[in-house]
Amino acid sequence: MTDAALARGPVVERRRGEGWTAAALITPASIFVAFCLLAPIAILFRFSLNEFVPSKKLMVEALTVANYVKFFTDPYYTTILATTVRIAVLVTAVCLVLGFPLAYVVARTQSRFKHLLIISIVLPLFVGNAVRAAGWMTVFGNKGFFNATLMGLGVIDQPLEIMFTEKAVVIGIIAVNLPFMVLSLQSVIEGIDRSVEEAAFSLGAPPATMFRRVLWPLALPGVLAGTILTFVLAMNAYATPFLLGGPLFAMMAPSAQEGFAVDMGYNPTVTNAKVPPDVQKRIGFTEEEQKRLRDLDYGYMAKNDTAFQEWWNKSFKG
Amino acid sequence: MRHLRRWALNGAAAVALGYILMPLVFVVWLAFFRQEIPSFPPDGYSLKWFAAILDQRKFVDGFRNSLQVGVLATAIGLALGVPAALCLARRPFRLRTPVASLLLMPLIVPGVVLGTSMYVFHVELENGLDVDVLGTFYALVAGHIVIVIPWVVRLVTASLAGLDRATEEAAQNLGANPWVTFWRITVPAIRPGIVAGALFGFVTSFGNLEMSLFLVGPGRTTLPIVILQYLEWKIDPTIAAVSVVQIVLIGGAMLITDRYVKLARVV
Repeated sequence: MTDAALARGPVVERRRGEGWTAAALITPASIFVAFCLLAPIAILFRFSLNEFVPSKKLMVEALTVANYVKFFTDPYYTTILATTVRIAVLVTAVCLVLGFPLAYVVARTQSRFKHLLIISIVLPLFVGNAVRAAGWMTVFGNKGFFNATLMGLGVIDQPLEIMFTEKAVVIGIIAVNLPFMVLSLQSVIEGIDRSVEEAAFSLGAPPATMFRRVLWPLALPGVLAGTILTFVLAMNAYATPFLLGGPLFAMMAPSAQEGFAVDMGYNPTVTNAKVPPDVQKRIGFTEEEQKRLRDLDYGYMAKNDTAFQEWWNKSFKG
Repeated sequence: MRHLRRWALNGAAAVALGYILMPLVFVVWLAFFRQEIPSFPPDGYSLKWFAAILDQRKFVDGFRNSLQVGVLATAIGLALGVPAALCLARRPFRLRTPVASLLLMPLIVPGVVLGTSMYVFHVELENGLDVDVLGTFYALVAGHIVIVIPWVVRLVTASLAGLDRATEEAAQNLGANPWVTFWRITVPAIRPGIVAGALFGFVTSFGNLEMSLFLVGPGRTTLPIVILQYLEWKIDPTIAAVSVVQIVLIGGAMLITDRYVKLARVV
């Protein structure tokens, strides 16, 4: 994932009038990105310093760090932040361990099918997170492949609950981030001269020593790049925790959306959801109401599925 | 012993590759199930779910919207990105490094941040200018252009770096003006980079979920969002069939790209 061509810079000497041509070439794209990307981020940052008046649900212009203080002290947010960091660290570590051998094999292979190998690593990246989440749902659902296989083998007699838990989220995010780690490592390993490794071997180093004293130090830039990229992506995962973790699983990115949902009158149907008491009073179910809630009848659901979904999309979401 | 180590290494690599591919394999498998509930082993196999896609308007509409947005964003992204790449690869200027970082920035800004900030920006624009911005088709396309540009810049710059300037100078010596030189010499020479940039840009736009979530208006959702909303509701072979269509389309685009530039060098 390096941009050698961009880093090296041009080699051509300057001629008269070229400055204007250059400006004409580069300005439209720069202005476009500045307007559509830098300006929005700047505004968002400015808003983060404003004051929020909860009673009026209004943002008042101000210059305060109160929002940041709240974010880092309010237990609601700090718990979410802690979960997110914990998961991101775990995911990054697993990606590094799983990704290194694959990156090494891809970097060193002489096979004619190397490009197919690369495509199969990159394809899932571009197919998108929703599609991959669908795959994991197929594997880990109560009647999914994983549970059906284990139950068929007689290892377990109750399906393991994986979907809508942290396990599913971690498994899903690792799969999302692994290609980034592999590609970062692979591009660096490819640049390491093979003869260096062979020199270590011919001087009698066992593979573990060669890895520790030669390959690892030389691959360190790739390890760093991959680790940072994976960590950042894991911190910002959205669709995967949303679909695999379920609505109660709050990592940082979906919690923003959840904040929205709470204000919109989203009703938690579970009692252990953490909602601030004032919000709970406004939207929560009383015990009486909770008794009226029913367990899902799958047959009935399947029959009326389209109608339900129509209702959900039209009256609730819209 | 040596063989054993080879096997261990290849085995570890295979595990990682299998892990990456597993969700796609299962989604493809599910698309061919006969029964509606995703339970294993399947009762049998059927192709009917692919026909079922066409019965649900939202998938057809989502596909059309994604296609429109992707094509338009890619076209505009090329018009903006190719000249920028020419400038970055050829002309020395003082702000070169910061401008290059600016153009590549959308690659590293997380989708949720892109989406939120653009959403807030569109609200502000709408209030300030008194025109519809939020949720319009053009606002969505503008967002997608931003994520297409870095791919175009990156891939075209890469192919310009390997281009010998002597041919262009020869053309100019023979009397061609810069415009003719550009169209007759430079463009054909960097066509692989342009094609690859266009395909990668399109694929990025077509598959984008996180940013688009914040930008789409009612009735104008893109395919990945339709998939997300459906999955929020349930998982069944129909959605798997839709996913297969997306996998085939994107996989095809990548195989074509690979014929023009070696993917290993550019991703």
